[in-house]
Amino acid sequence: MNKLLTLLGAFLLLSSHSLFAQGTISGKVTDPKGAPLAGISVYVHGTTIGTSTGSDGSFSLDVLQNEVVLDFSGVGFIPKSETVTVGTPVAVQLVIQNKALTEVVVTALGISKAKYKLGYSTATFNSAAINRDAPVSMMDGLAGKIAGATISQTGGPGSSTKVILRGYGVIGGGNNQPLYVIDGVPLSDALLNGSGNTAGSFTPDVSGNLDFGNGSTSVNPSDIESITVLKGTAATAKYGSTAKNGAIIITTKKGRPNGKLKIAYTGSLDYASVGKLPEMQSEFGQGWNGQFILSENGSWGPKLDGVERPWGATVDNSQLIKPFSAVKNNIRNFYTLGTGSTNNISLSGGDKTTGFYFSYGNVSNNGIIPTKADYLERNTFTLRTNSVFNNFSFNSSFNYINRNQNAPFTGQGSTDGASIFESLLQIPVDIPIHDFSAYKNKFFNVDNYFSPYGENPYYPLNENGANQKSDRFFGNIDMQYKFLKHFTAEYRLGGDFTNMRTHGWKQPNAPSPGSWDAGNNVEGAPRAVDVGTVIQSSDYYGTLNSDLIVSYNKDLSKDFTLDALVGGNFYQSAQRNQFAYITNLVIPGFFNLSNSSNPPITSDFISLRRRLGVYAEATVGFKDQLFVTGNIRNDWSSTLPINNNAIFYPGVNGAWIASTTFDLSKTPISYLKFRAGYGQTGSDPDPYQTNTKLRSGDVTLGFGSLNTPFNGTPAFGLSNIIPNPDLKPIITSEVEGGTEIGLFKDRISLEVTGYQRKTNGQIFTVPIAPSTGYAQPSPGQTNAGAVENIGLVTNTGIEITLGAKIIQSKAPSGFNWRIDYTYAKNNNEVNYLTNGLQNVVINTDYDAELRATPGQSVSELYALGPEMVNGKIVVNAAGLPQAASNKVDYGSTLNKYAMGLTNTFTYKSFSLDCSLDFRYGGVMYSGTADLVLFTGNGVATTYNDRKPFVVPNSVMAVTDGSGNVTYATNTQQIGSTQNNTYWYPTSNPGTSYQQRIFDRSFLKMRDITLVYSLPVGIMSKAKISAASIGVYARNLLLWVPKANVYVDPESTNLGNDLAGELGEFRSAPVSKNFGVVLNVTF
Amino acid sequence: MKSKIFFLRSVSSLFLLTALVAIATSCKKDLDINTDPNVPGYNDASVALVLPAGELATTAKLGGDLAILGGIWSQYYTQSAVANQYKSYDAFDVKTTDVVDNSSYDILFSDGLKNYQYVIDSSKSQQNWSYYLMATVMKAYTTGILVDLYDKIPYSQALQGTANLNPAFDDGYTIYQSLISSIDTALGKDFTAPTNTPITTPGYVASDLVFGGDISKWKQFANTLKLKFYLRMVNAHPSVASAGIISLFAAADSATFLSVDASVTNFTDVPNKDNPMYEQNIRSLNTPDNLRASVTLASWLAQYGDTRCLKYFGDSTANAINQGDFNGTTPSYATADVFVEKPTDPVIFISAAESAFLQSEADLRYLGAGHAKELYDTGVARAFEAAGQANEIDSFILPGKPYDSLYTAAPLEAIITQKWLSFPIGCHEIEGFFERNRTGFPVSSPVYSTDPSYIPGEFVIGPNSVLSSGLYPKRLVYPYDETSRNTSAPALVPITTAVWWGL
Repeated sequence: MNKLLTLLGAFLLLSSHSLFAQGTISGKVTDPKGAPLAGISVYVHGTTIGTSTGSDGSFSLDVLQNEVVLDFSGVGFIPKSETVTVGTPVAVQLVIQNKALTEVVVTALGISKAKYKLGYSTATFNSAAINRDAPVSMMDGLAGKIAGATISQTGGPGSSTKVILRGYGVIGGGNNQPLYVIDGVPLSDALLNGSGNTAGSFTPDVSGNLDFGNGSTSVNPSDIESITVLKGTAATAKYGSTAKNGAIIITTKKGRPNGKLKIAYTGSLDYASVGKLPEMQSEFGQGWNGQFILSENGSWGPKLDGVERPWGATVDNSQLIKPFSAVKNNIRNFYTLGTGSTNNISLSGGDKTTGFYFSYGNVSNNGIIPTKADYLERNTFTLRTNSVFNNFSFNSSFNYINRNQNAPFTGQGSTDGASIFESLLQIPVDIPIHDFSAYKNKFFNVDNYFSPYGENPYYPLNENGANQKSDRFFGNIDMQYKFLKHFTAEYRLGGDFTNMRTHGWKQPNAPSPGSWDAGNNVEGAPRAVDVGTVIQSSDYYGTLNSDLIVSYNKDLSKDFTLDALVGGNFYQSAQRNQFAYITNLVIPGFFNLSNSSNPPITSDFISLRRRLGVYAEATVGFKDQLFVTGNIRNDWSSTLPINNNAIFYPGVNGAWIASTTFDLSKTPISYLKFRAGYGQTGSDPDPYQTNTKLRSGDVTLGFGSLNTPFNGTPAFGLSNIIPNPDLKPIITSEVEGGTEIGLFKDRISLEVTGYQRKTNGQIFTVPIAPSTGYAQPSPGQTNAGAVENIGLVTNTGIEITLGAKIIQSKAPSGFNWRIDYTYAKNNNEVNYLTNGLQNVVINTDYDAELRATPGQSVSELYALGPEMVNGKIVVNAAGLPQAASNKVDYGSTLNKYAMGLTNTFTYKSFSLDCSLDFRYGGVMYSGTADLVLFTGNGVATTYNDRKPFVVPNSVMAVTDGSGNVTYATNTQQIGSTQNNTYWYPTSNPGTSYQQRIFDRSFLKMRDITLVYSLPVGIMSKAKISAASIGVYARNLLLWVPKANVYVDPESTNLGNDLAGELGEFRSAPVSKNFGVVLNVTF
Repeated sequence: MKSKIFFLRSVSSLFLLTALVAIATSCKKDLDINTDPNVPGYNDASVALVLPAGELATTAKLGGDLAILGGIWSQYYTQSAVANQYKSYDAFDVKTTDVVDNSSYDILFSDGLKNYQYVIDSSKSQQNWSYYLMATVMKAYTTGILVDLYDKIPYSQALQGTANLNPAFDDGYTIYQSLISSIDTALGKDFTAPTNTPITTPGYVASDLVFGGDISKWKQFANTLKLKFYLRMVNAHPSVASAGIISLFAAADSATFLSVDASVTNFTDVPNKDNPMYEQNIRSLNTPDNLRASVTLASWLAQYGDTRCLKYFGDSTANAINQGDFNGTTPSYATADVFVEKPTDPVIFISAAESAFLQSEADLRYLGAGHAKELYDTGVARAFEAAGQANEIDSFILPGKPYDSLYTAAPLEAIITQKWLSFPIGCHEIEGFFERNRTGFPVSSPVYSTDPSYIPGEFVIGPNSVLSSGLYPKRLVYPYDETSRNTSAPALVPITTAVWWGL
């Protein structure tokens, strides 16, 4: 009874103080060894009632309640809070403050924790580090700065950012991206390509795909307070299914309830120039087979001699004249200086209970491609509030993002129209590309462009394009109620909704009858008609997430603390893609779905998934130096078989601050921590893989397809995918261990982490033998076969992060030099595949394919290779290498290791930062190389000065009368007029892929920034509290191995996940950026 | 203190437990949303919906990839010297990994045979015999094409999905026997039974794309197909062929064999709804003029003044390229005539002319009923009609006219050669390749077609052939998709080895 009354009383008094003085609390503050500490502030928590300790470390304080929380703090010591009661003497120990002990990080579920208590590796970056070089996307500034994180930007303004933590673990479904979490709520990171990416295709492939970025590229970096990267499963297990690849925890800026209004402005001007381009040869000019041919699209002609000669079509009885010599910087001259600007203004402030933060951000960016073909305009609005009313707090965040973006078609042109990049690569080296900019000029227009085999690149540039407009809202409300002294309940509801409208268009055109390109040229070759196209898509992505968390924090005794929580989660993600396109436009320039005599081809796709989860976590601390955390979670997913849809996973981690336990003050070690963690997450499959279904009767042809209904007859066949009613989740389990060391009073800090992550039960639609009846993907789909849990992938690696203050000046404005170094090595291996599966093909370009093969990496590049006999290449009758019957392993596409180095110098008001990113090892396939070798533009094609040659180290098969085959040394020359056959896979299947596959290592100067902070004196007159101006450059320098004379190895148009590891297929070049950034705070 | 906390913990645990129970019960309903809303479910399938899906698959591959490959290997047309697309075909360089090899095989099994088997099984259980016959004939026809291309293929253990991931390869001849017997079984059913359903989907047009459900025509297709199968056996199993044909004709009347094309028509000049060869070779390929007149066919047409040249190459005499000379620099190559394709061309499975030629050959070889010449004339006439040259028939087959004289000189060679001349109609080119491999006609030339001694119409080997001298392709190599995923797959057989019925 008494208990119940106490409880009632507790409820009644929950949020109000008693008005009566209760008594005096007295005690003593010492260090861990018992020495008294003087001058320590002691305050009643949340009030102004306080005092400080005397020289003997003692204090006494009158308080209003019987039991209060006291906050102890002092310069150089770690603050501490203790619950005390009147009448009981208080003995508090404060630990000497060590920088490493003060760091607070935001962990899973948005919970802030002292970093030293964590049993896993984290990396945190603040707003200044993220925004130093005014990036458009939040992760761009972090490339090379996080050990174990591979971050790459893949193309022009607003294009996708690739972020892979600790290697690829997931084979199927293109799902190796980390989970992005903003203020505790998952953010959708769907690729924003729009379903109208290519006719009927939802995934990036070689044919004309568009990159409008991924979900994380929408967030305004200026609004971010900090980013914490949780690389391992030990850290992310609480998120359940979605965080199997690690998590990026984003904390946004909030208003401070301090009564002051703060206005901050950040703006930048950004310029971009084209980065690496394929190197072209300068010895041979237009032609084919060694002959000068006016209408050829390659440089297989005679030697350049500089003599003025007519070129191109004869129009109105006249022809242009130019010297027969290579044009310098021919492709480079096509590109222009990209310009961009960012403007961000934020207002923040608040009264004693409520803080607010409002911001408006604008990015306007016109990339290096002339015209607005690559263009991004992004407006972001944010309003956040945070209120505290006694024991209740309420936070809200509303974010609206409007994007208007143009992206060029990349990849392979098709009958509806050409691609800019393909067109550029097939112009002979002696023909000045920039002249073609007058693409309506009579010599360069559709009728008379010099070659019927290609198109004037300025035509697709000006006449074709794609635009996406999107509206995105994301936000959350978060309520916390401290309903009992040690209990807090928190409810959080978040949502992320995107609507996108994508519009692509290609102008129809055809050479006029009788014109040069209609076949009236020296080769009699007509150019195919471009029938034109209009693509419209409407896409919706929406996620809802809510968590209810009850947490309990208590010092159990003098030595033991307990932090515990239990929670429940609801998650739903919905998607709808509607897509229509027409071809054969009737009226040029009218880009509407009605503009064709043919009906539009449409598709409609819906996807819905739900998950329910419950979880619990408890951390027990011992003497503030040993922490053990255990967590469990159970999810129920809609995408698993309904009667077996639960996923359970546990995790445990521990941290030991050895430097607190032992007195290391006589050693150089100022901080020493050991940690170890184990965690599991279970990932559910993509929706709709458990039930048998039909498919449309559409049939794939060699090119194009035959679609149903056919002349009024509807047709549906049995699906070519065998669903799996026993599908299991993918289970990722990871063990990691590490140490964090501070040396010489933390002048040197070192973090070393080793981990092993096993991703088991990979879900994949396993290709099975066609004769089983399930082999052919439907048009627009990429796979067929049996849905199965197929195997195990292990990533094992080590990460090292080293920070050192090389020079640390005592004077506040003196010279300081700091270096930050990261090293990460990850070994990726497919341990096994089930059912005797020999490999899984992840992506293909022509005859190059990316495979996951047991015993090798998940990303192994296979392609045609030479047939070998006794170590010699077997050639055919023409002297050209033959292909071996099986594809050859060219090695893993994954980097062997990566290193980053950042140097920071500060002197007076200046600070200079320079970071390098080095990635070593791995191979890639280049579709750009393929085209410049085919056209004879590439430098490699001048091999042997294009004189006749015999393929080195080769033999030819000789069959005698009775059919016996022997091999004789090959003497068959590849003639000077047939040189081109050596450089093309059709004629040289044996070694042409060796020419197109190369080492993807690189060293990049990621960024260099110089910032000048205005002196306070000047600023205070203008009521400015802080101001700085900086100049920066990104991707300024790039070093690659000699073999790569083609592309920036980071550029790809094959997506930002595992499939993109294959390489690139005639993608847009990556740009170098430089600019100036201004920060002012009032 | 302690006990209070314990109590509070119990209360909150109870609260959470209640919440958990609530979650667990709502779980089932909220989570039972995994039925794909984007496609019909398996239970929505019906014979009327699935049969046309199968027919389209056979149509698409026979009339697409295989027509082009067959057309080049039958030397009707050749790779243009100013383009690239089909160089490997003309170089006889089709490898196990090539798309043409794999995609036809994959689609014929997955979208063709599997759907036919569904219709066979489903109609059998429903005693819906008209669908049973149609699916059986289409499955036999499609399987026959695969046997003719690859010799051994999985048959008895095929189409079982995960129940048999490694189906054994069956002997081609055994498969043929089984196909014939399955046709016989289907023909023996009662097509007047009340369990037969109309060949339409309610509210739609006929679900059968070939004959609109006309069972009498399907019976003719079935018999003509049997005749074709028996004639394929003339080299390997002549006595079986002879006995089969004699028994087939014993019960024959005028309605036994096809007198019209077994074909899919109704293509429209619209993307994805047009003739598959046109769609893939013209509409969807950026170079529409890869296929140029071959000297092999063009020289024959010129020699005899055959007016079908107009139909095939749009010209009364064709400017042609020597077969396989795609690297040649002869100036006239650039303007060589392009093979004429139309978006509305039919895709023919067995043509009316072919039916007559098959009957003619049967009579000539085994029946001796004296109708061989008459049937030959009918075949030639039907072939000319199909080419829009009906008016020209008499000037070729009347006594003393060229094709009459050729028959007189060598009847079998004349029949097969005329058949060869008819196959470019309706994307049926692959049959020209098969029939030459079976009969050796048209004969191989000892010299290349540039040689003055070259005899028009004789087959030549192009300068870019990757095969040992004198060799022609006689099959396709087992596709990589199959050999890499089926542990029962036999070793690769060279492209120059004849299939079981071949010479």
